[in-house]
Amino acid sequence: MKMGNRAAFRRRLSTVFFAALVLAACFFAGREFRTMRAPDAIYPGPGLTASRLLSDYLPPLKGTPGDTPVYVFEGKAPGGAVLILGGTHPNEPAGFLTAVLLAETIRTVRGKVVIVPQANASGFTHSDPQEGSPQRYEIATPSGPRVFRLGARVTNPVHQWPDPTIYVNPGGQTLAGVEARNLNRVYPGRADGSLTERVAYALMALIKAEGIILGIDLHESAPEYPVINAIVFHENAADLAATAQMALQAEGLDFRLEASPPNLRGLSHREWGDAAGIMAVLLETPNASHGRLKGKPSASLVVDGRDRFYERAAKLGRLFVPFGPEGIPLRERMARHLAGIAALLDALRELTPERAVDLESVPSAAAVRAAGPGTFLHPPK
Amino acid sequence: MRYIYHLIVLYLMLQTAWYLVQERTFWKQAGAALVLVLLLLRLFLVK
Repeated sequence: MKMGNRAAFRRRLSTVFFAALVLAACFFAGREFRTMRAPDAIYPGPGLTASRLLSDYLPPLKGTPGDTPVYVFEGKAPGGAVLILGGTHPNEPAGFLTAVLLAETIRTVRGKVVIVPQANASGFTHSDPQEGSPQRYEIATPSGPRVFRLGARVTNPVHQWPDPTIYVNPGGQTLAGVEARNLNRVYPGRADGSLTERVAYALMALIKAEGIILGIDLHESAPEYPVINAIVFHENAADLAATAQMALQAEGLDFRLEASPPNLRGLSHREWGDAAGIMAVLLETPNASHGRLKGKPSASLVVDGRDRFYERAAKLGRLFVPFGPEGIPLRERMARHLAGIAALLDALRELTPERAVDLESVPSAAAVRAAGPGTFLHPPK
Repeated sequence: MRYIYHLIVLYLMLQTAWYLVQERTFWKQAGAALVLVLLLLRLFLVK
């Protein structure tokens, strides 16, 4: 074979080799990415009285990636109606899992509880870019592990594209373009808007249709972020939040009160109160796995919450929460959410007894802290 | 809007694939292949 022919043959061979490599990489990576589209298994408990979809409140949402299950737990005695929202930000697992835990365990004696565990369902179908976040994490139960997706903070760009350069939300707030996909910046939503805006609009419609009087939005924040271990409240819920905080402090749980800024538009704790007139609160727990100071992201960091860089940052006084070698595990963060919800419901009963919501068979914060959430979750099927 | 996205990604993908075929250097072909994986996944809206 001549030298020229040999070189051409070698080039053709490497082209075929790389083409095959591209196809194989696409096949395996694509298969992995597509598994993120499979919904998480949630098994509502025996207290469930109605199972709906968010699209029942806004029919154009039906069949879109924004549609999501809505679980209703209604007691026989009349009382108030409470909305518990998890998964507004799917990279904040304590909020999502607390909503799942409640959906799988509670019975309502008085009033009504509406639970939406995955408020931004689209956000669960992908991971935050350039973060190296794990796609899933496991919660051990006595019958084996339950596996849940760790999603991204915002709606999947495949479902909503492109982002504007500057986003002006329905409240008139000017924000960075990416915030157009952040559910907690687009309230009260738009019926004919983007997917995220339609989800927000549907949640507002749910609040009105179900007669919600108290909305609790479950979140997590980075340990270096000042709004942490906090109850953020709309002025409609000031008395309720203050009463709950005093009870929590008496239990030895440090919760700070943060008033919802009236000029910060688009957030649940602002727009639920302004547009729907309900008592709106947002609970924050510290989550090292989506902070900026963390080391290697991993499923263990999500669940166990241990990170030596955060430990160091705490020693240097850079954090707003204590952070020791034991970290802040998911069970502790869920326990804080459960304690916060229980204190808010107690305060609701104390302030407006005719609108009380009484639950039974709710796992206590102390029990979840001691035994872990897997003890109370439905076994995997 | 989705069709515009597909067209942009398809154009970039074809350019990169053409580069992969035309390029003589092994490592430059490897670089093109790496980029091609991402573009191909984007073309099929797999993220």
